[in-house]
Amino acid sequence: MTNNKITIEPVTRIEGHAKITIHMKEGGGVERAYLHINEFRGFEKFCEGRLYFEMPSITPRICGICPVSHHLAAAKAGDALAGSPPPRPASLLRELMHMGQIIQSHGMHFFELAGPDLLLGFDADPAVRNVIGLIGADPELTLKAVNLRKFGQCIIQILGGRRIHPNFAVPGGVNKALKIEERDDILGGIDEAISAVQVGLKIIKEWAEKNQEDIQKFAVFPSGYMGLVSPENGLELYDGTVRLKDSAGEQLEKFDGQDYLDYISEHVESWSYLKFPYYKKMGWPAGVYRVGPLGRLNTVDKIHTPLADAELKLFKALNNGLPVENTLYYHYARLIEALYAVEQVRVLLEDQDILSTDIMNTCKDYRGEGVGVLEAPRGTLFHHYWADEDGRLKRVNLIVATGHNNWAMSKAVDSVAKAYITTSEIREGLLNRVEAAVRAHDPCLSCSTHAVGQMPIEIDVLDPDGDLRQTLRRD
Amino acid sequence: MSKPKISSDWMAGCAGCHMSLLDIDERIVTIAELADIRATPITDLKEPDAGGVDVGILEGGINNTANEEVALRMRSRCKILVALGDCAVFGGVPAMRNFFTLEESLRRAYIETESTDAEGKIPNDPELCRPTKVRGLQEVVPVDVFVPGCPPDADVIFYVLSELTQGRIPELKDNLLHWD
Amino acid sequence: MISLTIDGKTIEVTPGTTILRAAEMAGIHIPTLCDHDELTPYGGCRLCIVEIQGFRIPVTSCTMPVSQGMVVQTNTANLRASREQILSLLFSERNHFCPFCQLTGGDCELQNAALNEGMTHWPMFTSWNTFSVDTSHPFFVLDNNRCILCRRCVRACGELVGNFTLGVAERGIHSMLVADSDQPLGESSCISCGNCVQVCPTGALIDRQSAYRGLEKDLEITPSICIGCSVGCGVKLFTRDNQLVRIEGDWNAPVNCGILCKTGRFKPLEESRDRLTTPMLRLDGELQPTSWDEALWAIVDHLRPLIGRKEDGVAALASTRLPVESLTLFKSLFADRFQSSMVTSVEEGRPTGLLAAMATELRQPFEGRLDSLHTADCVVAIGVNLVEGHEVAGFFVKRAIPRGLKLVVIDPQPNDLDPLAAYTIKAVRGSDVDILLALQAAVVDEDLAKASPPAFDAEKILASLPGKTGLQVRTIREVARLLGTARQPVILFGKGITARSDNETLRMLIKLARLIGALDEDHSGLISVKGEANSLAAAQLGLDQPFQLNGNKAVFVALGDDYPSQRLIERLEKAPFLVVQASYASPLTEIANVVLPVEMWAEQDGHYLNLDGRLQLAHHALRAPSGAWAHRTIFTALADRLSLSISSNWKEELYKRVPSVAINEN
Repeated sequence: MTNNKITIEPVTRIEGHAKITIHMKEGGGVERAYLHINEFRGFEKFCEGRLYFEMPSITPRICGICPVSHHLAAAKAGDALAGSPPPRPASLLRELMHMGQIIQSHGMHFFELAGPDLLLGFDADPAVRNVIGLIGADPELTLKAVNLRKFGQCIIQILGGRRIHPNFAVPGGVNKALKIEERDDILGGIDEAISAVQVGLKIIKEWAEKNQEDIQKFAVFPSGYMGLVSPENGLELYDGTVRLKDSAGEQLEKFDGQDYLDYISEHVESWSYLKFPYYKKMGWPAGVYRVGPLGRLNTVDKIHTPLADAELKLFKALNNGLPVENTLYYHYARLIEALYAVEQVRVLLEDQDILSTDIMNTCKDYRGEGVGVLEAPRGTLFHHYWADEDGRLKRVNLIVATGHNNWAMSKAVDSVAKAYITTSEIREGLLNRVEAAVRAHDPCLSCSTHAVGQMPIEIDVLDPDGDLRQTLRRD
Repeated sequence: MSKPKISSDWMAGCAGCHMSLLDIDERIVTIAELADIRATPITDLKEPDAGGVDVGILEGGINNTANEEVALRMRSRCKILVALGDCAVFGGVPAMRNFFTLEESLRRAYIETESTDAEGKIPNDPELCRPTKVRGLQEVVPVDVFVPGCPPDADVIFYVLSELTQGRIPELKDNLLHWD
Repeated sequence: MISLTIDGKTIEVTPGTTILRAAEMAGIHIPTLCDHDELTPYGGCRLCIVEIQGFRIPVTSCTMPVSQGMVVQTNTANLRASREQILSLLFSERNHFCPFCQLTGGDCELQNAALNEGMTHWPMFTSWNTFSVDTSHPFFVLDNNRCILCRRCVRACGELVGNFTLGVAERGIHSMLVADSDQPLGESSCISCGNCVQVCPTGALIDRQSAYRGLEKDLEITPSICIGCSVGCGVKLFTRDNQLVRIEGDWNAPVNCGILCKTGRFKPLEESRDRLTTPMLRLDGELQPTSWDEALWAIVDHLRPLIGRKEDGVAALASTRLPVESLTLFKSLFADRFQSSMVTSVEEGRPTGLLAAMATELRQPFEGRLDSLHTADCVVAIGVNLVEGHEVAGFFVKRAIPRGLKLVVIDPQPNDLDPLAAYTIKAVRGSDVDILLALQAAVVDEDLAKASPPAFDAEKILASLPGKTGLQVRTIREVARLLGTARQPVILFGKGITARSDNETLRMLIKLARLIGALDEDHSGLISVKGEANSLAAAQLGLDQPFQLNGNKAVFVALGDDYPSQRLIERLEKAPFLVVQASYASPLTEIANVVLPVEMWAEQDGHYLNLDGRLQLAHHALRAPSGAWAHRTIFTALADRLSLSISSNWKEELYKRVPSVAINEN
């Protein structure tokens, strides 16, 4: 019987709060590792009693990195609930804001959160293994990263008045049209943004080439895959049909997001505040699937913009057309999506309806229930509201992006811990790798628990008798 | 003379205030020049220096036992404690949970929600913290500087950081003072 | 005059002025929350407290009148600390979630007050008690979490509108805004005027339609005139990127001084009809989209042979929602140039016909102005329901009741004003003439006549009253005494009098008015509410006859954004050639031969003549879709193609007839 346990608290360079416990075997090596998401806020309860049209303003407070995802999903759920489908120009504008968010979120994650591991090394000194350290190591690259994020944030600000928790989408449409000088302002930044993403792509490809051993060893496992797709099964981040594939890449389902309850269930474990979504028909745990960049690119057949589509073909070749299972390739997939988002910004801005003032449908055909679905940076997001005839919310159900990846992250943590911690000698860099398993998914734990948790890190390595052998502390 | 040390952490918030901090864009270089940035959620040090830091910044309110520990620890290790954002200032949106019992909120999330399967249960592992009533930071520890906003504007945060790192207490007024 | 010193500045003001107003005049701003220019001071929020030399404690400047030699300080360190304390108490007492409130970031007076004091937080811990949210009302939401109990809404509901739905129940920390005896708003006596929402300083009362669509700083604000009825209230139209977001009453407007009814405030935002954006022509039995050119020529081809045909040529109808400029062109084209004898408005003169004839007969106007209601001590409401329509005129009456106004309602049917009336005269239908004659007789008999009485046998008239009407003589005498002793009586009347086939009742009313001093050489207290926005203008242009098809070969309906009545649609079903100029699709456009898309009310500029003769200019706040034209453009284009020259001299046209109420261009 072992009571040997390593605790990593908090996992840093992620959004939200996570704690990892690694249970050691006698004689070294890992028995089992757990990813505990350690906080809970309760949006699904405390939104009861508020008005459905307040949700595009309340739910962004679930997350400060992807508030736009919630803002737009809440507006879409409101559209359905009120029976007010938005006019086409409003949908284009909402998608434009969404692309801004994808760019800033993916850009920030790659360069500023994951980047330090890739650029400075997993084993680099923790005191500098961060974005500040990157400023010192490569100021030019850091500036490019900052400007890429800024490009995305500015799109959000132009449309919604501010970068974080914007005020833009309402049930039935949006509250502001795009001015011609604003459109031109955004268009002017596209080339630089594309070039920044391509720098990132170069970095990840070169890193992958040099670190193939890690890539093949680090949390590689089968799962299902899920994401929204266009009618032609192309990548679709704003408005599409949900597609679910099995681990062999075969389509299991293609369904309207409104019907998600027929396909997705959530499992609860006593050791985490984050639930575990899974595909109902296959049950738990066989029905687990991955979402987010890796999950999405495994789900789609193509990307509708040329540069990103070319990259997708390279990505799909990594496993000869079969789903790519390597967790570290999340970083590559993330950049491909960022490239698509920048290209899509141009497509939207060149649409003839983008400057239209037909932005609001005030007529209602009130239903009282609505589901809003879109692809947040980290995965498929579902907002489901039930309201009484006065618009007051009776019930709220949210399945948030990262949540779908809960099983995958736990599995990745367990897998990396077992693969890299093979003796009883624990180096800080090894623990960082375990954290990197979580990081690769770019989790948004505030979102997924509709809550946030965090913990300090201190690792006590105990021997089988429970005596303290080694203490590792990250200060 | 060594640079002042800054440490930050987030509790029951959404990370938006830290994202707003990143919205200072290239001015982060200036901040890195003015201060020694220690433990933050986006750097890899895991807690504020045991020997103390000059400025401690906390985003988010307190809604569980883990947050309480974070708040107490930061207060004990910093000279000036900053409550960053509306959640830290008064509780913020998460404080809406106070109108329901913890039991109701937990039941809804882990048992009653329509997508939760038949084996739903309220998580209770000892590794997990316990939820509590949601409070602003000043209800748990004394606070020196309040920076309201949801989130506070990047310009506000840059001003606050640059003032604190140059030894001054920031005075928020006019367009640097907003509660939204 | 009284002189006092405020913050070192000495000023002189009239006695009765409050310190708050005196400070304003001296250019000194004292922060307030519960105070409002249009409402009586309440002194509840305490934010406006000032220090007065010799006074033991600070006092509320909004309620304290100035006195000679007063020395006032408005901004000492103690006062600043007190204001912060007051605001902290307010914020911690209830649940103020600035992050997601609809007003946050500029439109919340509570938040702005805190920002003005430089507050970064409130140092008192919030209690987190629960407060209810009333979502029962279709137009707005009451969130008690955000209420600061300033009672502005209570005062507005009572003082401005006279409805008295809102009140505060319980005391102290349990005080709560309630409707009636704690009914949900949607089931209460609320009449949805929305004036409470307009005055609320926080997000406690939230307009559903404009929520999250922009703060005031994001919106364009256009002062204009409401064309919901003939009262002609001044409005402020809030728009953003060519979307109408919200309508508020204009506090500076002379007619309504800021108040509105649901017809002016909320109904326009509920527009759900399909907008017409292209002309349509009926070909092979189906309406097909077409070009303006094709549509106009199709009309011209049909209409040209009808020029000069008085009786069976083109019949023309216009909505009285059209501005004077357009009505003038319409009349000039169809009545003057086509010389058609059937050119009228969709109201067909019902609200105004008898009035115009009477004015012509008397050779002068005989009606008075709405603002006489603000000083009247007695009002007779006959043949009018001020709750169903012309609501703001009704507010003027209702809100005067608490100050002593006595209301007499004469209506055979239940009238919504009955509960407020000192006397309700309900008699057999059709006995108005008898009632009015009896009132005249009683006034004379009581020796209260202010003009020379008609030659009648007062006693005989009174004796026959019960038999004819079922009314008691005693009641009529009491009412007559009331009217005869009134200092400033006003008689309000409507279609119940003016839509009759003969003017006997109107004559009786005028005679009664003269006898009680409500009508003389110098002034008139007779006011008819008329009908829609430009009822009076239509009357002035002679567009007030009943509509009847006499084998007319074509019918032209300038409908604008009006709703066609079922009766009109039925009468036009057999029209040989129907042209409809409209903003929205309707059963009328569906049977038309040609449909011309036109501006709606918020897209047009033009004058409106309200019920008491005030000429006001409405301004456009929106741009029409590119395919829709202005009324005047269409009339001019038709005239051009027909080689007819039409008059656009609307002012001249307006003065051609003697109006029943003098036209006031100020």
